[in-house]
Amino acid sequence: MTEPTPTNDPGLVPPAEDGSITTFAARLALKQRSGGFLVPLATVLLAFLMGGVAIVATQHGSIGTRIHNALRAYNQIFDGAGLNWIAHPTTSIADIAAYNLSQTLLQTTTLILTGLAVAFAFRCGMFNIGGQGQYLVGLIVANWLGVDFAGMATLPHILIAVGGATVAGAAWAGIAGLLKATVGAHEVISTIMLNWIALWVATWIFGDGGPLQNSLNPADPVSNPVAHSAQLPTFWGPQGFQGVDIGLFIAIGALVVFWVLLNRTTVGYEVKAVGFNPDAAAYGGINVKKNLIRAMAISGGFAGLAGAVDMLGYLYKYGSLDVGVSQVGFLGIAVALLGRNTAGGTLFGAFFFGALLYGTNHGLQVIQHPVVSAEAGGDFTYIIQGLVVLFVGADLLILYFWNSRKKLRPRARGKPVQAPEAAA
Amino acid sequence: MNTWTTRLDNPLSVRLRDASVTGYAGLGLGVFAAFLAIPPIEARAVVWPILAGILGASLGVWTVTRGRRRLGWGAVAAGVIGIGLGILATRSSAGNLSSVFDATLFAQTLSFATPLIFGAIGGMFSERSGVVNIGLEGMMVMGAFWGVYGADKGNSWALGLVVAMGAGGLIALVYAFFAIQLRSDQIVGGTGVNFLAVGITGYFFVTLYHNNPIPNGVPLLPNVHIAGLGHFLEGSIGDLNILTWAGLALVVVSYVVMFKTPIGLRIRACGEHPRAADTVGINVYAIRYGCVVLSGVLAATGGIYLSEGPQGNGSFLFDMPQGVGFIALAALIFGNWRPAGAFAAALLFGFSTAIGLRLQVYSASYATLFNALPFILTLIAVAGVIGRTVAPAADGKPYAKQ
Amino acid sequence: MANPDPVSQTEDLVLEMRGIRKEFPGVVANDEVSFEVRRGEVHALLGENGAGKSTLMNILYGLYKPDGGEIRVNGKPVSFSSAREAIQAGIGMVHQHFMLIPVMTVAENIVLGIEPSKGFLLDESGAEQRVRELSQQYGLAVDPGALVSDITVGQEQRVEILKALYRGADLLILDEPTAVLTPQEATELFQIIRSLQADGKSIIFITHKLNEVLEIADRITVLRRGKTIETAPRAGATEASLARAMVGREVLLRVEKGASDVGDVLLDVKDLHVLDDRGIEKVRGVSFTVHAGEIVGIAGVDGNGQSELIDALAGLQKVQQGTITVDGRDISEATPRQALDAGVGHIPEDRQRRGLVLEFSISENVALHDYASPPDARWGWIFPGRMVEHAKRLIKDFDVRGGGPFTRAGGLSGGNQQKLVAAREIDRDPKFLIAAQPTRGLDVGAIEYLHRRLVSERDEGRAILLVSLELEEILSLSDRILVLYEGRIVGEHTSDVSEEEIGLKMLGGKEKTAA
Repeated sequence: MTEPTPTNDPGLVPPAEDGSITTFAARLALKQRSGGFLVPLATVLLAFLMGGVAIVATQHGSIGTRIHNALRAYNQIFDGAGLNWIAHPTTSIADIAAYNLSQTLLQTTTLILTGLAVAFAFRCGMFNIGGQGQYLVGLIVANWLGVDFAGMATLPHILIAVGGATVAGAAWAGIAGLLKATVGAHEVISTIMLNWIALWVATWIFGDGGPLQNSLNPADPVSNPVAHSAQLPTFWGPQGFQGVDIGLFIAIGALVVFWVLLNRTTVGYEVKAVGFNPDAAAYGGINVKKNLIRAMAISGGFAGLAGAVDMLGYLYKYGSLDVGVSQVGFLGIAVALLGRNTAGGTLFGAFFFGALLYGTNHGLQVIQHPVVSAEAGGDFTYIIQGLVVLFVGADLLILYFWNSRKKLRPRARGKPVQAPEAAA
Repeated sequence: MNTWTTRLDNPLSVRLRDASVTGYAGLGLGVFAAFLAIPPIEARAVVWPILAGILGASLGVWTVTRGRRRLGWGAVAAGVIGIGLGILATRSSAGNLSSVFDATLFAQTLSFATPLIFGAIGGMFSERSGVVNIGLEGMMVMGAFWGVYGADKGNSWALGLVVAMGAGGLIALVYAFFAIQLRSDQIVGGTGVNFLAVGITGYFFVTLYHNNPIPNGVPLLPNVHIAGLGHFLEGSIGDLNILTWAGLALVVVSYVVMFKTPIGLRIRACGEHPRAADTVGINVYAIRYGCVVLSGVLAATGGIYLSEGPQGNGSFLFDMPQGVGFIALAALIFGNWRPAGAFAAALLFGFSTAIGLRLQVYSASYATLFNALPFILTLIAVAGVIGRTVAPAADGKPYAKQ
Repeated sequence: MANPDPVSQTEDLVLEMRGIRKEFPGVVANDEVSFEVRRGEVHALLGENGAGKSTLMNILYGLYKPDGGEIRVNGKPVSFSSAREAIQAGIGMVHQHFMLIPVMTVAENIVLGIEPSKGFLLDESGAEQRVRELSQQYGLAVDPGALVSDITVGQEQRVEILKALYRGADLLILDEPTAVLTPQEATELFQIIRSLQADGKSIIFITHKLNEVLEIADRITVLRRGKTIETAPRAGATEASLARAMVGREVLLRVEKGASDVGDVLLDVKDLHVLDDRGIEKVRGVSFTVHAGEIVGIAGVDGNGQSELIDALAGLQKVQQGTITVDGRDISEATPRQALDAGVGHIPEDRQRRGLVLEFSISENVALHDYASPPDARWGWIFPGRMVEHAKRLIKDFDVRGGGPFTRAGGLSGGNQQKLVAAREIDRDPKFLIAAQPTRGLDVGAIEYLHRRLVSERDEGRAILLVSLELEEILSLSDRILVLYEGRIVGEHTSDVSEEEIGLKMLGGKEKTAA
């Protein structure tokens, strides 16, 4: 696959160990070029197919019944996520499909932001596996500011709480960026460690005797609810009972910011140059270290914002037992990878996983006789999520799709993506 | 470059990074932590000894990474012990000292270290062959669940162990296929494996046990009783689990295999320069497959210890390792990708867990926070270790055969 | 031996390759190539970069599968599917890029794959003993216990040869073995080759250097564009005849250029000291000047401080001591950005690693230095349309072929990539231009273009510093030549200096007394 061609100077082929694609972002760019929409779609279908195998394996009855049940399970997840709303659109939250959809949208909001947190770092050549920790830090700070500054006017209070959480998330991720820039510590390792530190800090802070534990019942390891002045207004469904809040618009705004930042600003140019080739970026006059720190901080800002939007949008309070259960930061990895680290892709990825998450977890609880029990539903999400991540990461699988797509158009028969460049 | 990032290189910070300075400072802080709470200082809040101790241990870690190993480890130990003593002193009289530091502390340290040893050594095989393994956590959860399942259905702990190893090997094989054959990005692949394993075990747990969480009467991994050693020794090593002994043996065996045998030389060659290995006729793919599967088997052995060992009581909980796999990964990095180093790090992390458990009696709140210590120490170790390029050179790079 | 192959009988051929064909997507690398080696001969395989030499040898060594053709070793047809099988058949290969593991010892590297053992355990001392015997037998001096990371490039090459001999190689393939060596080290290598030959080994010597071929080879096979052009004995071959066969036309060996019109000092380097990334001092007190309108060439063997010197001049590496002044402006403490602003242009030695962001389009690469200043951008906002306009102009002016402004730079051929880099650097109108290895790995057409361009930029009044490992390039382009050895300038010459004299200086002039 990696024949250095005759015209390629052998001396310039990067260290002979690997497939000659050096940085993470460059590897991803390869995928960007290959396959367009096809690969994510195929990835999802393949994941569902294999998830279906798990259902078939654990059902009883004839193989026909089992397959039928697997299909029914997907139908139920679809309904559970409220996607059947499309058949009877209504804004009435009393309608079960509309309610489910509104809940899916709440999940989507969070996942857009945690997805962006992963995607932005990817574009700078870093793998921010620490979205979960940054999200937790955002939750903590949003809760703290939302509770402590009670009595302020609504708008400034929201701005302070949202801003504070965003900055906190940025600072938390910035630690990883700083370590990478100054001593070269690999961001994957440091963000994993920061995740667990954040997890235990959050468990402590909301828990028994923790600084943010509620003031009413010391036996209850849950925080105080944020003040009304800090709660984000809802526009669909009731305030205070998981209605869809304006956080959705904040998330969509973040998508726009992400796109503009990357494609129309010098910051984005620097981020991409560093991501694709740090040596060339430095040679071009770009301060690589500054960009590593900045890109990581911006990433963390997105995750911190996710924490703020969740805390101020519909959670309002948080318990130390919720900390270990939350997975939205990790789901962001799957969202970003499925969305190929683009703004549009992240939106679709977030909606896909938001629907899957709500459809399997809570959506199934309202369905009569679900094929997959609601308890197992959450695990089912994990299986699909794991498969999607595995498949999206597989270079050769994608190349295979890409090449077979090319075979369908004999006229355009050309070099495969990794093929060496033709002679001048 | 005269940006602020490079200003960190000025002479003062260089001097502060000098190994002996940080080492002695760490040692001092550790001792200081213990004395903070007693007269004449008598700090009321327990947070001060914890902070001082963590700082001391952190400096120790930095010192270790800078080459002064003995001094550094001393500072780490002083810091951790200082925290324990400091908390005790704030909470109680000296009479309770023995309830925290006694022979069973030693036993507990080894017990908590056991899954870490298996995970870290497993990870070492994988990474030494050139495949980064952040899927250790997932491989552990496979071992934890399928181990209970096997022991339950076969009514034998040995069978459970075999099933756990098989399940770990199987998920590692899936990972190996993606990481080696399909040349996936290994971080992405490992992340996928973690999700997948949590999903599979959770799904089958609910489905196979029908919301009946704890199967009762599952045969557990036995302890090895050694009598007649005297009070202290018997309390510390007289009643260790069979897997703890196996883990200790594994450290020695894996060292010999990795550094003293032809196969170890070949594994390391694949992790350092796979093309060089390939050109002398070593089958890089076969070696990497073997090592990744072995890492899954070992990690799953660590996993079954969580559910079937002394702390597990034959029950399984969703996402059971709760970070143990990542601490094992941390121990591997902390220990410079070497068996003895990984073992030392596993002991340190096991010790801090054991201490944390005992602190629960005095302050549940701070005991919770204490759980973050291994991760903080690793974060610092990672910051310090780099620059000495200790990871295998080709670790994490997919190899394309020609 | 009842009915031996008639050919083998008459000539005693150790290797026959007939009608070898190998196609890569879009390129025919080997087209019906035929090649044979007699026992005990040194057979040179000559050809330009990209002529298909390495492909042919990788096929022989089992690394690639041929699409067609036949290979016989010692008269027996073979088909290797891996290097292991080629090794078993007595073939050894010393790659151009050494396949050594730096963190392991010399002995470990040599025995890897066929390790001596005592029971389960590796027999370290046995391995070292065996290596010592081998190295004495063939006069290849190495220390078996040393770490590979601690030995010199010349020693690494010996380790590679020992590796092949340890595996019982009768036929040794040396892939451009002198590329990393000084002329004197090359002479030592030739002695080793002769002693191997005397021991009955056959050697395939891959190169594109004509003088080496005439010095060492018994027979010569020339490849051009994947085809065998001729196989001839050394007797009767001349540099000119080989060059014609290799390139397919007369080669312009000297660049046409007029006398230089030297102006003011544009680059002034005083007592420069630079450390490399590992903190080792690689530039140790270098002082020189480059004037407007002259090309100053830096000659030297790779690794004598060239990279660090270039990086320091471009602001990419910190200056430990000394000053760099460009047109009166001190840039010793400058960041790359400040160096650019002071008027430094830089064609880097590795265009793919540093000169270009291969994933970026041509227009984005053109903007690599000026993406943040008008007209490309203002107040942090980028105007992609203006970048495209700029790129269009450069593509036209510098004759960059193979794509438009939106083409990915990685999709261009090496020559056009290099033209793109040169275009960007020259178009910024630098006062002082660093050209590091400007023609490495390019075809003849691109080389001629870049050489002419450098000369015309000199005539425009720029100060040009040419750093190259190709002595011929230095000699033909430079107005003045500085020789860099172990981080110091050990000689300054005019362009009519002889190759031998420079070669001696490149070794610090010590070799004469040692030999």
